Amino acid sequence: MANVFAFAESRGTDVRKVGLEAVTAARMLADKSGGGEVHALVMGPPGIAAKAAQIGQFGADVVVVVEHAGLASYNPEVATATAVDRIKSGGYRAALFSTSAQGRDLSPRVAARLGVSIVTDVLSFEIDGDSIVVRHPMNIGKVIATIAMASKPAVIAMRPNVIAPAQNAKAGRVENAPPSIDPSSGRVKVIETKAGGGGKLDLAEAPVVIAGGRGLKAAENFKLVEDLASAFGNAAVGATRAVTDDGWRPHSDQIGQTGRLVSPELYIAVGISGAVQHLAGMRTSKTIVAVNKDKDAPIFKVADYGIVGDAFEVIPALTEAVREAKKHH
Amino acid sequence: MKIAVCIKRVPDMDVRFRIGADNVSVDEAGLKFDINDFDAWGVEAALRLKDKNPGSEVTVISLGPDVVQETIRKALSMGADRGIQLKADKIPFDGFPIAKALSEELKTGSYDLIFFGKMAPDSSNGVVGPMTAEFLNLPCVTAISSLEIADGKGTAKRELEGAQEIVEFPLPAVLTADEGLNAARLPSLKGIMAAKKKPLEVKPAQLPAAQLVVRKLELPAERKAGRIVGEGAAAVPELVKLLQTEAKVL
Amino acid sequence: MPERTKKVLPKAHQAPLPLDRLILQETPEAEAVPMDVLFVGGGPAGLAGAIALAKLVKADNEAGGDLGDVQIGVLEKAGALGEHSLSGAVVNPIAIRALFPELKDKDFPFRGSVGGERVYFMTGSRAVRIPTPPTMQNHGYQIGSICEIVRWLGEKAEGMGVNIFTGFPAASLLTEGQRVIGIRTAPSGLARSGDPGASYAAPTDITAQITVLAEGTRGTLSQAYLEWQKIPSDNPQIFALGVKEIWETVKPLDSVVHTLGWPVPKDCFGGSFMYPLSPNLIALGLVVGLDYKRTSDDVHEMLQRMKLHPFFKDLLESGEMVEWGAKTIPEGGYYALPKRRHGDGLMIAGDSAGFVEVASLKGIHYAMQSGMFAARAAFDALKRKDTSAASLKKYDAMVDGSFIVSDLRRRRNMRLAFQDSNFYVAGFKAGLMTVTGGVLPGGKIESHPDADVERDATQPEPFIPDGKLTFSKLDAVFKSGNATRDDIPSHLLVGPDIKPEVADLYAHMCPAGVYERDGERLVVSPANCIDCKATDVLGPRWTPREGGSGPKYRQM
Repeated sequence: MANVFAFAESRGTDVRKVGLEAVTAARMLADKSGGGEVHALVMGPPGIAAKAAQIGQFGADVVVVVEHAGLASYNPEVATATAVDRIKSGGYRAALFSTSAQGRDLSPRVAARLGVSIVTDVLSFEIDGDSIVVRHPMNIGKVIATIAMASKPAVIAMRPNVIAPAQNAKAGRVENAPPSIDPSSGRVKVIETKAGGGGKLDLAEAPVVIAGGRGLKAAENFKLVEDLASAFGNAAVGATRAVTDDGWRPHSDQIGQTGRLVSPELYIAVGISGAVQHLAGMRTSKTIVAVNKDKDAPIFKVADYGIVGDAFEVIPALTEAVREAKKHH
Repeated sequence: MKIAVCIKRVPDMDVRFRIGADNVSVDEAGLKFDINDFDAWGVEAALRLKDKNPGSEVTVISLGPDVVQETIRKALSMGADRGIQLKADKIPFDGFPIAKALSEELKTGSYDLIFFGKMAPDSSNGVVGPMTAEFLNLPCVTAISSLEIADGKGTAKRELEGAQEIVEFPLPAVLTADEGLNAARLPSLKGIMAAKKKPLEVKPAQLPAAQLVVRKLELPAERKAGRIVGEGAAAVPELVKLLQTEAKVL
Repeated sequence: MPERTKKVLPKAHQAPLPLDRLILQETPEAEAVPMDVLFVGGGPAGLAGAIALAKLVKADNEAGGDLGDVQIGVLEKAGALGEHSLSGAVVNPIAIRALFPELKDKDFPFRGSVGGERVYFMTGSRAVRIPTPPTMQNHGYQIGSICEIVRWLGEKAEGMGVNIFTGFPAASLLTEGQRVIGIRTAPSGLARSGDPGASYAAPTDITAQITVLAEGTRGTLSQAYLEWQKIPSDNPQIFALGVKEIWETVKPLDSVVHTLGWPVPKDCFGGSFMYPLSPNLIALGLVVGLDYKRTSDDVHEMLQRMKLHPFFKDLLESGEMVEWGAKTIPEGGYYALPKRRHGDGLMIAGDSAGFVEVASLKGIHYAMQSGMFAARAAFDALKRKDTSAASLKKYDAMVDGSFIVSDLRRRRNMRLAFQDSNFYVAGFKAGLMTVTGGVLPGGKIESHPDADVERDATQPEPFIPDGKLTFSKLDAVFKSGNATRDDIPSHLLVGPDIKPEVADLYAHMCPAGVYERDGERLVVSPANCIDCKATDVLGPRWTPREGGSGPKYRQM
């Protein structure tokens, strides 16, 4: 039995989904170790405390809230110092983070201060005697490593989306704490955060990628794809080489061996036959959906789900259905 | 300015990897190696600062066996001034000892800026840069996609999920390079000739014991054959249901 | 009345060699990189030459000679050594042994010696074993991957202080009067418009007392030099196109296999080869003369069809194709050799000079040996401080007096060997040895450049690759490792009057899918190009482009 620390990542006064995933992962790890407590740390500007209850519902027994006007943006040095102090005082078996942009920045700093090693982008974990054994993709996902972590605490950053945040009825105890250092004393300062709009996400970062091919027949028909992307809200639009060569989309949108390599949670191929060059750029996507008129198109060989049909008919229907689904989410 | 760039020799990822006979390493037969792209962007960023600030010196540091000298030469042929090999039998997976060894070397150099790539594709862990910064107690900005340095102060952009951060930091500092920071220059012919005469110092790496043990490497399962959900718009409700309940991506 | 078949004469649609770009009468830029001897091309000829020269210089210095520091350079267009090297590498080790007398055969980067060999005559459904013709006997030879051999040679050269510049194609010869004084590299980072892009790198000049052209098959600068200097040959050079695949198989292969006959049309010269790199790593390929007769003849597709034959299918099925590539082979032989392979400050070695023996399809040992002769001639010229044509003439004399020319000369009459029986005549006609430029006893046959052979405009039989055993050209290019950026300006000079049937010719001629016919229009995708040079023989002219473009072969 051991207690586990989780960093509940936030942006502004919102707890991010990846933060809840870290809490749920910590819960799973604590349960695997025989049922210790999960202590979650959340930091943010005034208003963040109101989210403590939500974090408890995802498996935290204690929610440590650090609310401070100086924490409107992520402050790496304050977050590092505060997380390190809490982890040191708590005697935790493990400390869980997310391998998000923020988690990638924060978790190695914390591990270094604690004098321990870290594995990021972790897919799953098990307890094996004195070690925590994690699985970690190497070589851009072409090799999977099984790694034993002997250090205490084991600092683990989970790959986003591999653990679904799981709710339970329990509410955690809330503790309030000050930041370990004065937020205004941080050497590194975020002076501005610009939100990117839906559909303008970078292809490599977007959790959802909708890509169009020659099956769309003309540049203007990419509107169908863009509409679907905006229905998702977190989607970027890509294209095949044939399409960028024809000038329908800029070359920066090209996904494939000679273009961008993407590995989103969800990849939707619209009117793409699936030339190997294209497949090379997207086949590590977690879930692949293909919509194509030709039932023999190679894209169906790599797609998890396929719809044989006319994109001009299927995509508007899908866009509508996604809008509906997002409303209720 | 004194600038250091830490670089790693990595295999070309455009192959199907094989697991070595020991089950804990990748079979290197037939693999092609080169400087990590992210690190090359770090080298490029350093060289651009050098171009703007005459009299600057760019030092590249790589940890590993003697073959990393080739990677150091590549950076020298791009325009870096001198190289340091921290000699080790192999490059460990664990970033902690690497960061320790690098910080021991870096603290002797009084650098104004230290660049890393944000990650290396082989270990795919992305921790050495920020860990080294902590060991050196230097301010650190990770995964930058733009950079300006003026009056002893830097401004960088970081890409977040669906947002961007503009970050200010004082010098000296540690920075890790992300895609978009720049396009790395190719070595010129003159650069290749000049690199042959540039100093390359070899020192033993002071590597503490690793805390991580790679127990096994394996190739991921082949993607399972998918299925056709249906035909035409009528199949959309079923697809949405599968995306929600089975794939859990919606 | 049946409609007359349309005809296509490739030459009528070919642009001339752009001599004004390839031969420059310009003073090298002030910042030119000075070399003493520059080998253009990092293949077996250039690298063997560079190593041989480095050895001669070292020995001379050790013996108290006065040469001092001699800068030897090797310029290679591929991003790394070996990435543009492809061969059906069953190697006669004579030259590598001569280059490294201090090493043993086991030290060389070969995969193994030839165990056994078999020759088959194919029909659409059968494979009949025939006796192995003497010219195709490989016993005692070594199996290797030219990529691996070239990388090994590169390490040796680098270890001896040779300057190896990979990723730098030579785009032009710098000349002064009749003398070659160096080269200018191709720029990189041009936008599609041809204007400098964000990562633009300007051309660099390299000066050299002696330039050795070792560009490989259909060398652009070699052609330009021969044309500029009006150096004739008895017959024009002719070419075959070889398409090659490497397979990981479940079933092993233990011997070298050649086939004649199907699927090569009866009026084309061609045949296949197959050999094991290791028991379950198999190289196979098909070689067809570029004097084929129809616009729809397509070597890549012939190879794909060939694999459907039970003879190959049984071996390959449930295996995986891991690498694909293609290149042309100069097949003109003895009578196509340029009368002079040297000039003021210049020598031409290897495939660029046409040192390939067609009957056995071998050129690696000739390439290496000619490079080594060029090294000797260069060394002597440096010693006597005279790098004029008169001084370098010794190179031609050494080649002429060696096994290179005697082999090619002996086999100029190779048809004789095949006239002993009718069976061999059939085997020959459909066979490996494309000797349209060959000779009859007692004299030579006039031959035509491949582009002068008129083609019937024919429609192909539809062929749909299955993506497992057979592959489309696009899938094939992917397996060549080609990652050329998409916005590269075209390096292919399309000629005049490209009618739809000409577009068809190009689409089938090119194994890499660079050309497609879209209605009445020719569509060119230059980024697909893998530098096989077939296009330069029959279609749009190939010119040097940004370094590192093209394929990235690993074990071809």
